[in-house]
Amino acid sequence: MDLLKKYALTGMLCLLLLGAGCRSSMPSFHVRQDVDFGFIKRVAVLPLNNLTNERFAAEAVRQVVISELLASGLVDVVIPGEVKATIDRLGIKSVSSLNTKQIKALGTALGVQALILGSVEQFGMVRMGNISAPNVTITLMMADTGSGSIIWSVTSTGVGGGFMARHFGARTETMSETLLRVVKEAIRTLAKY
Amino acid sequence: MIDRVKRKKQNKTLPGPLLLALSLLLIFMWGCGSPRQYIRPDVDIRSIRKIAVLPLETLTTDEYAGEKIRGMVISELLTRGVDVIEPGEVTRVLRELKIRSLGGITIEDIRKIGKRLKVKAVMMGSVGAFGISRGITASYPEVSIQLMILDTSSGNIIWSAWNTAGGPSFWTRHFGTEGTTLSETAREVVKETVDALF
Repeated sequence: MDLLKKYALTGMLCLLLLGAGCRSSMPSFHVRQDVDFGFIKRVAVLPLNNLTNERFAAEAVRQVVISELLASGLVDVVIPGEVKATIDRLGIKSVSSLNTKQIKALGTALGVQALILGSVEQFGMVRMGNISAPNVTITLMMADTGSGSIIWSVTSTGVGGGFMARHFGARTETMSETLLRVVKEAIRTLAKY
Repeated sequence: MIDRVKRKKQNKTLPGPLLLALSLLLIFMWGCGSPRQYIRPDVDIRSIRKIAVLPLETLTTDEYAGEKIRGMVISELLTRGVDVIEPGEVTRVLRELKIRSLGGITIEDIRKIGKRLKVKAVMMGSVGAFGISRGITASYPEVSIQLMILDTSSGNIIWSAWNTAGGPSFWTRHFGTEGTTLSETAREVVKETVDALF
């Protein structure tokens, strides 16, 4: 009986851990192998392209990206206002379609080795069977301001209602928690290099 | 000998309750965490005793969310013995410098603000979530904030933190008990974030 209880409890624990691990898919990413990321000390995070119906989605994601880049200790980040002022000064109308010349010009003006740009594809609640859960999908890219080319790109997605929430009524994440997790997973792919 | 057998028996019963406690802890800890923060290595941030808190950017549908959180941040800083410049004085300087958009404050603006208000650091940030969200079976408050401290001489970010609080509690979800209010959640997230610094 004791043995059975022990197995049951161990099984429950394993299920919990599995449930926690199964909550998200790994982000798909690309890193240029011939680039030494060690030379990137300071970056500027450009305004993200908002592809959702949520008015503040892009700016909310951008703030978390800035915070996570700083908290990870990977790079220093230029304040968002300075980035906006420089974009205006250089007469750049759309940051979603920058050409090589504009990337280089922004790098020189802001004194950064790389630019972070990207988009927010999903930012809202989705229905999953009988539950609603937050869903966030982002794409981030890093452009080298020396060459103007993309050296890192990642698409990360996350849904707040995990295995335990769907099947056992466990706590679902809030939108903010899902957002943080998605951004963290995206930046973790960069931290490896 | 009998004592040893008894002790062995007692030891055998320990892993069960322990595992159960661990499992419960895992369930309750789900989603808990302290704010993610960055402190510039070469700066003694805790030596800052006077600061100007700029209006926070509101990225939610509640247009007053930024001001509500700003008030809480100021009050938390004051209780920790940090001198805070009066918000009215900050507004006056922002007007004088013709700063209209909070998202457009440049390094040069930060330097000017520092000089006029005679502070070595300014705090700015944004409110990403401030409201009641709908979950599976319950509604719950959700607040997330981002705060930054900038050095007014260099314009560098010397501290940054992002934090969130809220979500449906175990008792609210399963037994319909009253959860925390939006104000309580906001106070919690602000307190936790400022605690991480001072």
